[in-house]
Amino acid sequence: MAASLTGLLKPWTPRVLLVRWSRYNPYYLEPEPRKEVYHIPETELTPEQKEERELKSVRPIKAATNSVTSSVFNDPVLSKFVNMMMKDGDKIIAKGIITQTLENMKRKQVEKYHKAPEGKKAEIECNPYAIFHQALENCKPVIGLASIQKGGKFYQVPIPLTDNRRRFLAMKWMITECRDNKHRRTLMYEKLSQELLAAFSKEGNVVKRKHELHKMAESNRAYAHYRWW
Amino acid sequence: MLFNRSLPAPARPSSITTLDGSDSEYVDNYKYLGVWLDCKLSFQTHIKHLQSKIKSRISFLFCNKASFTYAAKHTLVKLTPSITVPSVLSPKPHILPTTACQSEQHLGQYYTVPPSHFHTVFPHGLPPRYQQQVKTFNEGCVMVRQPALELISHLKRADYSKPTLRYLLYGVKGSGKTMSLCHTVHYCSTQGWLVLHIPDAHLWVKNCKELLPSSYHASRFDQPIQASNWLRNFRTTNEHFLSKIKLRQRYVWTKRESTEEGRPLGELVDMGVSRVKSSSDVVGAVLKELRLQAGGTEGGFRLAVAVDGVNGLWGRTTLKKEDKSPVAPEELTLVHNLRKMINNDWCGGAVIATLSQTGSLYAPSSAYLPQELLGEEGFDSMDPFVPVPVSLYSEKEFESCYLYYLDRHWLQHPHSQTEEGKKELIFLSNRNPSVLERLCAFL
Repeated sequence: MAASLTGLLKPWTPRVLLVRWSRYNPYYLEPEPRKEVYHIPETELTPEQKEERELKSVRPIKAATNSVTSSVFNDPVLSKFVNMMMKDGDKIIAKGIITQTLENMKRKQVEKYHKAPEGKKAEIECNPYAIFHQALENCKPVIGLASIQKGGKFYQVPIPLTDNRRRFLAMKWMITECRDNKHRRTLMYEKLSQELLAAFSKEGNVVKRKHELHKMAESNRAYAHYRWW
Repeated sequence: MLFNRSLPAPARPSSITTLDGSDSEYVDNYKYLGVWLDCKLSFQTHIKHLQSKIKSRISFLFCNKASFTYAAKHTLVKLTPSITVPSVLSPKPHILPTTACQSEQHLGQYYTVPPSHFHTVFPHGLPPRYQQQVKTFNEGCVMVRQPALELISHLKRADYSKPTLRYLLYGVKGSGKTMSLCHTVHYCSTQGWLVLHIPDAHLWVKNCKELLPSSYHASRFDQPIQASNWLRNFRTTNEHFLSKIKLRQRYVWTKRESTEEGRPLGELVDMGVSRVKSSSDVVGAVLKELRLQAGGTEGGFRLAVAVDGVNGLWGRTTLKKEDKSPVAPEELTLVHNLRKMINNDWCGGAVIATLSQTGSLYAPSSAYLPQELLGEEGFDSMDPFVPVPVSLYSEKEFESCYLYYLDRHWLQHPHSQTEEGKKELIFLSNRNPSVLERLCAFL
């Protein structure tokens, strides 16, 4: 087998064994954490799915990371945000901050909901996950700038951004904004919940930063030809 | 108007002229002598007008739904079928009447504590997460559970001329001991008892910045801040008793200050709140007076001593004297006086206590039984007591809690409202009330 398991045949094995290498042999397949896939009965499988199942019964499978779950409450965007907020590999603290943020946002909105008159109740959004996703959407820039060298000088050229890059920029701005521009005694989850609620209603510093980027790109429209891809 | 009972509503006739040439107006309904008449000579229009008048007058009743019994609300809604009233009876699963009439059939259902009671009965007793929940939901609902009902039934049937019975609530962490205690305190308060609620006895044996040597007894220590805080809350809870109870003894505080016999208790409490230095001794005096007068036949009141975290009174403290030697709990005035209160040498009331590992000192986190948490000394002092076990939610109670959160729009994640999500919640929380509450907080 081309898999790098021959190391385990050595007489001495190190005390700490790496379970999931980042450079897996391409022979290994990805694990499937979702429960619904395994509940489909034999008859309803498409030919591709049948083929995939047969392949999985012969090939080795990579170990699943700690962050994937088969839970119904698993959210990949939120997991990415938690990873970006994490410092020094301390996922427990980062996850704790995010759960406190979600709780704080929900408390503020539900309190407003219960105190609002009947007509206004339908407009108040109480779901913290919906608020988080919408706020992130509102912070994503549409167009970005790249520094391109032409004739000895560097110009800021407007370029299209991929989806991943846009999501990354939105999350990065949100986190840096909450870390830098807060009072010494405000806790992170409090500031984060304020910023997310502001971004949900298209106000706040992060949305302002997105607009400034758009304005810069608009003003540097003339250099768009310097882009060659 | 043209009156006709048998035929359907006639078409409008051509205009009718009166004798002096003017046109008379044709109407369908007309009010005459206080009654609305219509073409069919039925009372429908009259009833409709009355309903709209009633609706505008009694709409305030539907807003203050907490003040009415279930039966009254049901009658109100039945009387006014056409009035669309915002959720008097539904969708909240069950809203119950006062604590006195709760019984076995109400197990698992929620009852609402009137908002006015929160400031008077519970200035300091409720768990902090529950206080946040009350603020968010804009109302305070407590689930009726077996331990609290058992306690209340014991309190109803006890003989108050005999020495006091001690009740001890015990259970694993997060099973609802403090909430059961608060339920019982609310019951006692509504029945007119004098309630002595110590929110957490552990607060008196740790984290004390100022430890003064006691003026009354040389080897003891005073805790002025904790004592004055507690006195202030005691005053809020029992306003109406303070002027009725008279002191039976003269208390001398300093060379110039003393409280005479026959003065009302309120004066003593006010003095303790204002003169922080002698507040611990004031607490001791108040407890002694209440102990003496609780079972009295003339103007007798019933005294409920509710102590949360009673295992803090025995064991060790984290406080140190000036020479860095540890302070034993009996060397603190507050603890000494409270221990005398928990003894069963007085009559006319009850002692309801809760064990707590959460704030305790030097106790392992897996300990929850009375023997483990109280220690030998504590168990011997509390013995004999009535143990009341508090278990995790049963299936019915879990259902009720889940429905309550759904009703209050607290479970917002779309998957948490499905069967799959509910199974996952049961699995993750193991039906532990506090773990479930923390899970549902961010879902």
